[in-house]
Amino acid sequence: MNCEKYKKLIEKYIEGAISYEQVAELKTHTETCENCKKEFKQCTVLEDSVREAFSSWMSAEEGKVSVMARLSAMPKPAVRRAQYNLGWLAGRRASIAAGILLAIGLTLGFTIGRAGIEKPIGAKVPMRVTGLEGTVLVKHEGLDAWQVLEADSDIHLGDTFHSATRSGFVLEMEDKSTIEVNQNSMLVLKFYNGETQFFLRESTSAIFHSNSTRPGGGIRNRIHSHGRVDPDNCRFAM
Amino acid sequence: MAQIILRKELMADDLNQSMSSDEQLVSDTLGGDKAAFGTIVERYWNMVVGLAINKIGEPAEAEDIAQESFIKAYSQLYSLQQPSRFAGWLSKIAMQQCSNTIRRRIRCKSALGCKAAGFEEAEAKAAETVNDRLTAGQRYFIRERVGRLPEKFQKLILMRFVGGLSAVQIAKQLGKRPGTVRVWLHRSYKILRKDLAPILEEVK
Repeated sequence: MNCEKYKKLIEKYIEGAISYEQVAELKTHTETCENCKKEFKQCTVLEDSVREAFSSWMSAEEGKVSVMARLSAMPKPAVRRAQYNLGWLAGRRASIAAGILLAIGLTLGFTIGRAGIEKPIGAKVPMRVTGLEGTVLVKHEGLDAWQVLEADSDIHLGDTFHSATRSGFVLEMEDKSTIEVNQNSMLVLKFYNGETQFFLRESTSAIFHSNSTRPGGGIRNRIHSHGRVDPDNCRFAM
Repeated sequence: MAQIILRKELMADDLNQSMSSDEQLVSDTLGGDKAAFGTIVERYWNMVVGLAINKIGEPAEAEDIAQESFIKAYSQLYSLQQPSRFAGWLSKIAMQQCSNTIRRRIRCKSALGCKAAGFEEAEAKAAETVNDRLTAGQRYFIRERVGRLPEKFQKLILMRFVGGLSAVQIAKQLGKRPGTVRVWLHRSYKILRKDLAPILEEVK
């Protein structure tokens, strides 16, 4: 008799992977095979014995009732995992949003840095005072008091100047353009690229306009200034 | 024996279904359905008690531990990462509860001088309440022999024979390969069959 097949079935029984049909087949076989019957019997007795030795006094049904009675007084389990997940997602969303904003900021910053931005009149464009001669007064933007202009003083676009007769000075801007008020109360605007514009004292009103283009391309500073040239002195606002 | 066979047949039939239903039951419980957790308790009660008896030795205390384990599992169900491995997770909780009980016993003995219920006392109680074919001595002998197996074999034998899980299910619950669990199971079965031979002869 070929018992190999049934030995395999007994192994499957031990593993708990046997089907209805296979159990029926095994039982039929054990009725006629003493060896397999003994083997199978030993298997079931061992399983029964171990289960009994480790069995509960309470049945599973009683255990369930007992646990459920205690659980009835408890609230439903917290769904903290879901909250954690949401928090994690929220954190992730915030990170993504922050990343996008950062990327936009960097792109804008880079573009602005490359192309320059039109600085409004009155923006704090630093200028260096050089070649100061005679008396020049300055009124800083937002202030009423006139001050004597001194070399290397803090000058910005938007400040107003009063240049007395026979006085002059030069304002150097960061892009190397200069504004010069000479002793003849003549406004001379020199661009970094060598272009020069003159505004004579005979002019009652002069507007100079700087579209100074940097060598790398793009507009660095666009300066709109008004200069009013009087016969004896020069007063203008940048 | 007919009972065993019927249980096995049912188990083999539900081999994959029970795994997915564990996930479903966990999900339902988290959704507020306490009855779903009741089904879980019924399904794994024997396994948890068996594991606790193996550690503690006293069925009454093991039942208390099982209850505490289920309560803890219920309150911490949100932290279960893989609901399909509920039984493995539950067995770890039960082991932790057993360790707590053992520590408490030691503290009680050393600090207060109280005497924990002895084996004889517990067995006498068991003899009064349980009418089984095994004697108290035989039960003790079987527990002692199972306790001699390597730790991983002990858990396996209890999950298989007491908890009624198949080798494939145990492998999934413990995160092991089915082949490994099968080999361990047959090895531990062989050892037990040899060790328990005298008892098995008596029981027959």
